[in-house]
Amino acid sequence: MKGKINNIIENVGLPRIIIFFFLVLLFALAPIVGISLSISINDVIVRFGMNGILVLSLVPMVKSGCGLNFGLQLGIIAGLLGAVISIEMEATGFAGFFMAIGIAIFFAVILGFLYGALLNKIKGDEMVVATYIGFSSVSFMCIMWLILPFKSPNMIWPYGGTGLRTTISNQGYWFHILTDFLQIKIGNHIAFPTGTILFFIFLVFLVWAFFRTKTGTAIVAVGSNPEYAKSCGVNVDKMRIISVILSTTIAAIGIIVYEESFGFIQLYMAPLYMAFPAIAALLLGGASVGKASIKNVIIGAFLFQGILTMTPSVINNIIMSDMSESIRIVLSNGMIVYALTRTMRERS
Amino acid sequence: MKQQNLTKTLNPAVQFLINYAVPIIFSILVAIAIPLSGLPGDYLVREIMTRLTRNSFIILSLLIPVMAGMGMNFSIVLGAMAGEIGLIFITDWQIVGISGMLLAMLISTPLAILLGYFGGIVLNRAKGREMVTGFMLAFLMNGIYQLVVLYGMGNIIPISNSDILLPREYGIRNAIDLVGVRGALDKLISLKVGGLLIPVVTLLVIAALCMFIIWFKKTMLGQEIRSVGQDNNVAKISGINVGNTRVLSIIISTVLACYGQIIFLQNIGTMNTYNSHEQVGVFAIAALLVGGASVKKATVPNVFVGVILFHTMFIVSPRAGKALIGQAQLGEYFRVFVSYGVIAFSLALYAWRARVEKENDRRKAMVLKREILQSTNPAGGE
Amino acid sequence: MISITLVVALILIGIFLYTTGKEHKILIDNKNFKVGEVAYNTNATYKIWIDNQEIGLLEEDERGVAMVAGASHKIVIEEMKDKVLTGEKYEKKFKLKTNERATINIPAMINDINEWIDKIN
Repeated sequence: MKGKINNIIENVGLPRIIIFFFLVLLFALAPIVGISLSISINDVIVRFGMNGILVLSLVPMVKSGCGLNFGLQLGIIAGLLGAVISIEMEATGFAGFFMAIGIAIFFAVILGFLYGALLNKIKGDEMVVATYIGFSSVSFMCIMWLILPFKSPNMIWPYGGTGLRTTISNQGYWFHILTDFLQIKIGNHIAFPTGTILFFIFLVFLVWAFFRTKTGTAIVAVGSNPEYAKSCGVNVDKMRIISVILSTTIAAIGIIVYEESFGFIQLYMAPLYMAFPAIAALLLGGASVGKASIKNVIIGAFLFQGILTMTPSVINNIIMSDMSESIRIVLSNGMIVYALTRTMRERS
Repeated sequence: MKQQNLTKTLNPAVQFLINYAVPIIFSILVAIAIPLSGLPGDYLVREIMTRLTRNSFIILSLLIPVMAGMGMNFSIVLGAMAGEIGLIFITDWQIVGISGMLLAMLISTPLAILLGYFGGIVLNRAKGREMVTGFMLAFLMNGIYQLVVLYGMGNIIPISNSDILLPREYGIRNAIDLVGVRGALDKLISLKVGGLLIPVVTLLVIAALCMFIIWFKKTMLGQEIRSVGQDNNVAKISGINVGNTRVLSIIISTVLACYGQIIFLQNIGTMNTYNSHEQVGVFAIAALLVGGASVKKATVPNVFVGVILFHTMFIVSPRAGKALIGQAQLGEYFRVFVSYGVIAFSLALYAWRARVEKENDRRKAMVLKREILQSTNPAGGE
Repeated sequence: MISITLVVALILIGIFLYTTGKEHKILIDNKNFKVGEVAYNTNATYKIWIDNQEIGLLEEDERGVAMVAGASHKIVIEEMKDKVLTGEKYEKKFKLKTNERATINIPAMINDINEWIDKIN
C-alpha cells in the first residue's frame, strides 16, 4: 500500500498533490469565512472558460517536440489585431465576434509560419529564444499600436487623436457574446456561461479530432521520435511548422474568447507575461516539457483558475491582507521551475 | 549540403561579421540614432561615464557562469534581491556612509550565498535548459521576495524605522530614499576632469574585479570551471565534480551580483523596492550580448563595449523616436523592443550556429568513418 | 579552525562598521540654561562646526540639528557679535554610544559645566 502511494506521488509529482489539497482546503474554508461556495464555483467556471483555450493552444507544440510555447504572445497579438480591426469596422454581435476570429486566424497563420520556420533553425533551444521573441514582438506591437491608422473613436486617445488606447472596451460590440449565449441563471448571482463552455468544448473536440488525422499522428511521431519519423518519410520541419501555426491560431482564438468574457481588449505591454499563467496551468494539469494531452489542459486550467479565484477571497478574509498576487506569482512560476527540473528524471 | 561550408571555411572577414553580428548591427543603429536625437556630445559622454561606473560590476558577474557552460545567468536577480535586503536593513538601522554600504554588503553576503546555492542546485537539475529555468527562477524568487518584504517585514521581521514602512505598519514602501549611502562609494575619492566628476574608488573596484576575473581563469578552480564549460564528460573523467563546480560558479555570480546591485543603488540613491531588480537581469544580459558575447563565450571587453553601446541606445532612443515619427513615447517602446530583440536575435543566432557546427562535426565524423572503412576494406562495399 | 576565525573576524568587522556608520541626531541649543539655582544665559550668536563640517549660525534662543555618524565627535563654536566674529572660540569632544542621541547647550558648554551635553538613548 505504501509503495503504491509512493508511486503515485512519484508520477503525479508532490507539488501538484500539494496544490490539489490546497485547493480543496480553500473550498472547505470558503463557507467558514463567509464566502458563498456557489458563487465561487461559478467564478471558477467562468474563468476556466475564459482561459481554457489559451492553455489548449499549448498542446500542439508540445506534441511536436517544440516544447512549451513561451512565444504565446505571437498568437495573442494575432488575436488582438483581429479584435481591434473588427471593432474598427463597427461589426457587432456574433458577426463581429466571428469576424474578429477570422481576421485573427489570418494573422495567426502568417505569424505562426514565420515563428515556426525560425524555431526549426534552432531545434533544441526553442524555449529561451521563444520567450524573447514573444517579448520583442509585444514591444514591437506597442510601436505599431501607436502608429497604425485606426480611426474608431472608441479606440483612440480622445485628445491626442492618434494611436490606440491602452485598454479598449468591447461593450456594445461583442462583449459577453458567448457568455450570455444560452446562459443558465440560477438565483441572483449565479450565471453559468454556457456559450463559453460550449465553444471551449467545440475547440477541444476539433483538437482531439485533428490528432486522429494523418497529419496529427505525424506530428505526434515527430515529437516523440524525430529520427524514426524521418525514416518513415515524414517531413519533420513541415510538421513542426504546422503545429506552430496550429498553436498560434488557437491562441489567437483564445485571447478573443478571453476578451469577450473580460470585457476589455488590453494592448501594449499587457500581453507581455501572458504565456506564463497558461504554461503553469498546463504543467499543473500533469503535462511536462515533452508530453501534453487534453486531459492536462482541463485539469490544469481548472486547478489553476481555482487557486487564482479562491486564494484572494479566502486568504484575505483570514489574514486581513492581500497576499494573493505574490502567492499567485510563487505558485505559477514555481510550477514552471519544478516542471523544468523534472525533465531529466523522465528521460532517464 | 550547402550548410556544410557555412562557418568553417568562409573567409575570415565574413566569419568576423557573423561572429560579431550583434555589436556591428547595434553600432550602426546607434550611429544613426545619435544625430537623430540631437543630444550634445558632452552630455552623452557624461551619461555614459555614469552608466559605466554604475552598471559594469553587475554585468561582470555574468561572466563566470558562461565559463561554466551555463549560458546567460538570468538568476543574478537573486543576488540583486539579496543586496536590496541588505540595504533595507542598514537603512532601518540608520547606518550611513561607506560603513553603511560595506555593512550592507556584509550582511547580504550570506543571503546571496544561500540563494546562489539554491539557484545552482535548481539549475543543475535542469541541465540543457539552464537559461529558461534561470529566467523562471528569477520570477519565482521575485514572488518570494515580495512575500518577505511586503508582508514579512515589520511583522515577523522587526523593522523599527517607520519612515520606510508602509502606512499600514508592515511592509516596506515602494521607494526608499538611500540618502545615507548615496554616493558612499562614488564620493570617497572623486576627481573633477573637465566638468566630469569621476568616482575614483568605484572605478578602482571595477578594475579590481576585472583583474580578479582574469586571474581567476588561471587558478585551478577557474580551470575546472572552464573544463566543465567545454565538455561535461571530459571534465568528469578528469575527476572534476561537475555538479559542485556548476553550483559554485552560480554562487560566485550571485554574490558578485549582490555587490553589483548595491553599487548600482548607491549611485542612484533611491531604491525601488519592488522594481529595481526586475529589469536587472534583462538589461545586464542584453548589454553583455550587445558587447559581442555569446552563450558559450564572454570576456571582459564584451562587458564594457556592451555597456557603452547598449546604454547609448537607451539614452538616445526617446529623442530619436520623437524625431523619426513624432512621438517620444515611441522611443520608450523602441528601447524596450531593442533590448528584448537583441537577446532574441543573439540567442537565436548562437543556437543556429551551434546547430550548424554540430551538423558539420557529425558529417565530418561520418565522412571519416567511411574513409576508415574503405581503407581497411579495399575490396569496397559495406 | 579557519572558518571559525573567519566568521569571528567578519562579525567583528560587522560590529565595527555598525558603530562607525550609525547615524546620531544632535540637537544644539543656544538657549538659557539652568542647573539647580544657577542660571547661564546666552547673549550672542554662534557659528557651529561639528566634526569640521559647518552646521550654520545659531542666534539666541535657536535650536539647530546635526546628523553625524560614528562614535567620537568634536564640536567647535565661534562667537559672533553684530555679524562679525569676535575671535572667541570654544571646543569640546564627546563620544556617543551606538543608540544615543545628544542635546548640547551652548551657554553651559561655554561655562564648562558637566551638564553641557545630555545623552539620551
